[in-house]
Amino acid sequence: MKRLKHIICFVACVAMLTGCHSREEMAYSMDPVENVEALWQIIDTKYCYVEEKGVDWDAIHGVYLTKAATMAKDDQLALFDLCAEMLNLLQDGHVNLYSAFDRSYCTSWYDSYPTNFDSRLQGLYLKDYRIAGGLYYCTINDSIGYIYYSSFSSSFSASNIYWIFTAFKDCKGLIIDVRNNGGGDLTNSYKLSSPFFTENRVVGYWQHKTGPGHHDFSKMEELRSDTSLIASRWRRPVVVLSNRHSYSATNTFINIMRYADNAKIVGGTSGGGGGMPLSYELPCGWMVRFSSVRMYDAEQKDIEQGIEPDVAVEMKSQDKDDIIEKAIEMIYNW
Amino acid sequence: MQVAESEGMQVVENEGMQVAESVGMQVAESEAMQVVENEGMQVADSVGMQVEENEGMQVAENEGLEHTNVLKVKVGWSYQLDTYLSPLAYPGMQIGIGNEWWQGFRQDTRLGKQGKLVNWAHVGRVDVHGFRNINSARSNMTYAVEASGGWGAFYCWRWFDSSLKVWLGPYLEGSFTARELASNVNKPVSFDISADVMAMSGISWSFYGKKTSYRLNYQIRTNLIGFDFLPDYWESYYELSEGVGGMPRCSGHWNHHSIKHELTMDFQFVHSTWRLGVEHDYLNYGTENMHFIRNQVNLVVGCIWNYRIKANSRL
Repeated sequence: MKRLKHIICFVACVAMLTGCHSREEMAYSMDPVENVEALWQIIDTKYCYVEEKGVDWDAIHGVYLTKAATMAKDDQLALFDLCAEMLNLLQDGHVNLYSAFDRSYCTSWYDSYPTNFDSRLQGLYLKDYRIAGGLYYCTINDSIGYIYYSSFSSSFSASNIYWIFTAFKDCKGLIIDVRNNGGGDLTNSYKLSSPFFTENRVVGYWQHKTGPGHHDFSKMEELRSDTSLIASRWRRPVVVLSNRHSYSATNTFINIMRYADNAKIVGGTSGGGGGMPLSYELPCGWMVRFSSVRMYDAEQKDIEQGIEPDVAVEMKSQDKDDIIEKAIEMIYNW
Repeated sequence: MQVAESEGMQVVENEGMQVAESVGMQVAESEAMQVVENEGMQVADSVGMQVEENEGMQVAENEGLEHTNVLKVKVGWSYQLDTYLSPLAYPGMQIGIGNEWWQGFRQDTRLGKQGKLVNWAHVGRVDVHGFRNINSARSNMTYAVEASGGWGAFYCWRWFDSSLKVWLGPYLEGSFTARELASNVNKPVSFDISADVMAMSGISWSFYGKKTSYRLNYQIRTNLIGFDFLPDYWESYYELSEGVGGMPRCSGHWNHHSIKHELTMDFQFVHSTWRLGVEHDYLNYGTENMHFIRNQVNLVVGCIWNYRIKANSRL
């Protein structure tokens, strides 16, 4: 029976130990100070560009805690606006706050750049088009293939690419227009770039946030193009059109295409958004999205701020799309 | 004495041999139990059952391997804290089904040397659970499905005429969990895989009531070493920063705690043997500043039966 007592004691100890919860757990709260503090901590410890954004994040802490302390505790809209204001100081399109009644957004990362896209002017070229998956395509002057891809969230298949290339079989070159494409699924970036590579090249690197410090990152890991994703190959010239609204997964696609055979980037500087975003929650249950993985090009240069085109063109004409015109000219003179 | 003889069945003792005993079995293995089969028929298992001697009957000498099977339904509460997802806890509910079977390594009564029991036995388990957890702000929820299975072997010690037993042995377990997060902008779906070598131990105590017999069981398993793996971990809301390049990560008590224990009671009711009890699973893994913690408490209702696989039978 003594043994039995020992066993019962052991069982009780195990039950107590496993019942202990982590000290990281936080109770639900609408308190403004608590939520602003939590938001500041999340960005401070988990966001991967605190240093690179050029803001004094420590100073922001005190300023916004003071503002939160003077707020009414039940004013959710005011608390949301305060949190959004603090996040927008980072000028990052991947940093957003989500609640049931609003989603914060930041425009300062593209406000000072030329638009470089006009759907009315684009319509002069994108005529009698077909749609394969998420790709709109047509031929320009019967000699240049033109693909417009408006979102990397729209999927497409290898079969879609095959039929598009078949339609362009007599073309001298190809234009892929990813202007105003705000990104989406990163997998589609690698997929769309696949036909333009003959080997799996190093096209960039990434680093994961591994700790709370601003410099806590894993070592750089190679990112390679993947020729296996699409069986078809395009060996003739290809021009990728970009503008400041080419963001996130589109930015990654543009970066990959810089290392493709016979490819050039034309237009404006892309929007950036190189960091892979993740989500976290505040004590009030709102969700905050932020970048936690840094991405670099093959020269290990950060692509968060955008990618400069090989040929910079700004749209000024009112009756034609200067960027498409430049791409056509480049293909004819390739 | 309680006899579990079914109508038409003949229950026997064979000169001191204990036929249906599965050494170390958790359920049907009462030392005192003497169950018999007649021409391939099975006697319904009764925990702690003693069967009277019937002199006019004979027992087959080699009835084959006896298995004890427990089919369980589980309903309970779950708690999840993923510090890479949220500081808020995600409590919720879960349901599951499971099956476990126990078997002695050797069942041939002739090898039992007139009652000397073989103390090594083994156990297999399969479990499927479904979870639904909501954060404490009620603004987000997760769904998850977990499938796990394992096999273990153990050695059994007996006291008090085998009414008290303790067993200990290694256990191999693999699990797969798929999760969906209702409000996650990046990776709404993720999954992870783990495999562990565990230590398994248990204790059971058989005793008699007024009308029937009972067995109280407690068993516990904890991981020793293994691996866990999150494919595309960079896309997952849970990031294993030690797992470089999506490779499996070696896991042990320094980064992965898993304790599964259960307290159950086996008893007879309406001519069947049932199990009622409580299970508690605790899981905590991660890196130094990111943790995934999960607690599950389940009410378990199970049905127990024995069956035999006849040795050397032709297909």
